[in-house]
Amino acid sequence: MIPLEHYLYIAAALFALGVFGVLTRRNAVSVLMSIELIFNSANINLVAFSRYVEGAVGGQVFALLVIVVAACEAAVALAIVMSLYRLLKEVNIDRASELRG
Amino acid sequence: MESMAAQAIFYVVAALVLASALYVVLGSNLVHAAFALVAAFFGVAVFYVYLGADFLAGAQVLIYVGGILTLLLFGVMLTNRIYDLKIRTGKVQVLPGALASGLVFALLIWIIGAVDWGAMDTGDPGPSSEPLGRLLVGDYVLAFEIASVLLLIALMGAAMLVRRRSGS
Amino acid sequence: MSDAALSLTRFIPELALVGTLAVVIVADLLTQRWETLRANSLLTWIAGGGLLVALFTSLGPPGGGALFASMIADDGLLAVLRPVFALTALFVLLFSLRARELESVRMGEMVALIVTTAAALMWMAGSVNLVMIYLSLETVSVASYLMVGYLSSERLSNEASLKYILFGAVSTGAMLFGLSLLYGMTGTLDLYGVREALASGAHGPELLLVLVLIAGGIGFKIAAVPFHFWCPDVYTGAPTPVTAFLSVGPKAAGFAVLIRFFYSGLATPEGGSFLPIPGSEAQTLLIVLSVVTMTLGNVAALLQTNLKRLLAYSSIGHAGTMLMGAAALSSEAVHAIGVYLVVYLFMNLGAFFVVILAHRVTGSFDLASYAGFWKRSPVLTIAMVVFLLSLLGMPPFMGFAAKYYVFIAVIQADLVWLAVVGGLNVAVAAAYYLKVVMTMVIEPGEASPPAFAFSRLDAVLLALLAIPNLVGLLFWNALDGFTRVSRQLLDLV
Repeated sequence: MIPLEHYLYIAAALFALGVFGVLTRRNAVSVLMSIELIFNSANINLVAFSRYVEGAVGGQVFALLVIVVAACEAAVALAIVMSLYRLLKEVNIDRASELRG
Repeated sequence: MESMAAQAIFYVVAALVLASALYVVLGSNLVHAAFALVAAFFGVAVFYVYLGADFLAGAQVLIYVGGILTLLLFGVMLTNRIYDLKIRTGKVQVLPGALASGLVFALLIWIIGAVDWGAMDTGDPGPSSEPLGRLLVGDYVLAFEIASVLLLIALMGAAMLVRRRSGS
Repeated sequence: MSDAALSLTRFIPELALVGTLAVVIVADLLTQRWETLRANSLLTWIAGGGLLVALFTSLGPPGGGALFASMIADDGLLAVLRPVFALTALFVLLFSLRARELESVRMGEMVALIVTTAAALMWMAGSVNLVMIYLSLETVSVASYLMVGYLSSERLSNEASLKYILFGAVSTGAMLFGLSLLYGMTGTLDLYGVREALASGAHGPELLLVLVLIAGGIGFKIAAVPFHFWCPDVYTGAPTPVTAFLSVGPKAAGFAVLIRFFYSGLATPEGGSFLPIPGSEAQTLLIVLSVVTMTLGNVAALLQTNLKRLLAYSSIGHAGTMLMGAAALSSEAVHAIGVYLVVYLFMNLGAFFVVILAHRVTGSFDLASYAGFWKRSPVLTIAMVVFLLSLLGMPPFMGFAAKYYVFIAVIQADLVWLAVVGGLNVAVAAAYYLKVVMTMVIEPGEASPPAFAFSRLDAVLLALLAIPNLVGLLFWNALDGFTRVSRQLLDLV
């Protein structure tokens, strides 16, 4: 059987990659993709703990709801990106800065 | 219970997931990055199968690959006239980003090692859809209902944002 | 009756709001062909009615148990915060009728979002289960993103919303990862179960690191430094009534979640205080967050020339002051935060309402456009001065009570030096609040500026917000009594 720690290492790596993407990507859609990696990493943790620590499906309920939330956020974020794109004709978060950071 | 072959497949999938994730955050072609994300999502679904979360594996494929990814691809294609637009415009702070995420990774690895997780193998848990369904309409019925409200407003809001401008 | 059915009888305000949401959506569809103004006022009436029902049904003695199989704590803290959310949403709803940005826009979705947010804030404040905390926090977030980006033909509004959703998704993603690790360490999703499991073992700095990840999500909601980056931009770009909502509602709910975590999940009650689980360093974490948040918020506010931005930084400063109270880790601290949130509702919404009314005439949020305000509208100027001095915490205005409770709680917890830092921050805050007052009263403005015109609604709203600030201290006992129940957290009832 696969030891619990191996799932956790994979999740940690995905989380770190997601963070890296968020910090370095300049395109809003790419940042969104990196955020999806973060959500997935947390879900791997939840399901792994659900199996190996809790021994019940509480973590799976959590993971299922996280998928729902991720879908909602992706839909809303892309709607905003589209709306902004029509205004700017570009989706580059650096250039989208009439507002000072 | 799992054979050597099953273990080997797991690590191959793990390597694939990490490689695709790496392409997602490093690759310069947005459409390819989206497809790399598909591979990563599929790999995660495979992990769920290994963990006995069969229903979740199905949901992962249906919602992530079928839904979220299609959305992202639409986003990519509708916001970039040029199909393979290079996304590295302007200065990108790769080094500080790499340092920061490397630190995060090191700390997480340390946490994983430092905590006694008390892991136990409870054996094959059997199909998960029944206990999952019971929890969703039992103890977690409120969470289930809140999720429906969340979906409702997300749907309404996304439609509002995209529709209004084309109407005006 | 089953547990769920019994729980529903203690869930009337939330049910009323969800019902209102359904009615608003249908009514919005049925009035598609109506002229905008008429449809907007109908929808506002419907939602206002629903919020009033929620407000009145949420008043009354707190329950004393957990609802829906220990998902929601029907305790004193929720009993204090439910009316705060309903009242905030009601004010914001009426503000949006008067805001210039929203005047010619169809308000169907906005009204629906305000009602949903009010309900989601109540869920958030009551949650004592990790799943519920995450889910309700995200519901509030998604509704907020949509409200911020509501003016989809305005570039600023869109940009603010994009920034908000990207920062927000990352912060809540970090929080989610922290929650998953906490679940792994304890094997349970119930907050009290988490405490039990944590208390039975020894922990090193790994618990603190997990806590830092979770603090990311909470810090994002209350706009604590260093999770505040979104705050000034979002406050500036969003329609002003939405800014007012964000500065009060999610902040209050964020503090409720913070109390649930740091007082119930990661500390054991002992007499009147809460002892953090050894290894979590919860108090140190809160102290650091509070010092950084108040100092940066207040100092940055000094430099602002746009009133919306100034109020954004000032709200960061207030979050820092409340965090200072939270660091005291005592029942007094919970009570102090309860008082602060109730008072903050009136003073901060008041200040934003004056900004909304001024913007109707001047079309500007620049501090410079407030020059000569005194000559143009003495009433509005006096109201603004009352709100600002109340925000500063100066007696005889009600803001003094808020500061008083927090500082007493901090001093009682033997954190005198922290109280001194807080005092210095009040001095800094005085500088920028008074700068606004000076601009309005002393600086000469244009020679013949356009005059202000009030509707009856404006006058009523202004009075409803200003009078509590003016006479609040006379009703000290009522305020104390109303918020005192917040000390009864679920496990202390």
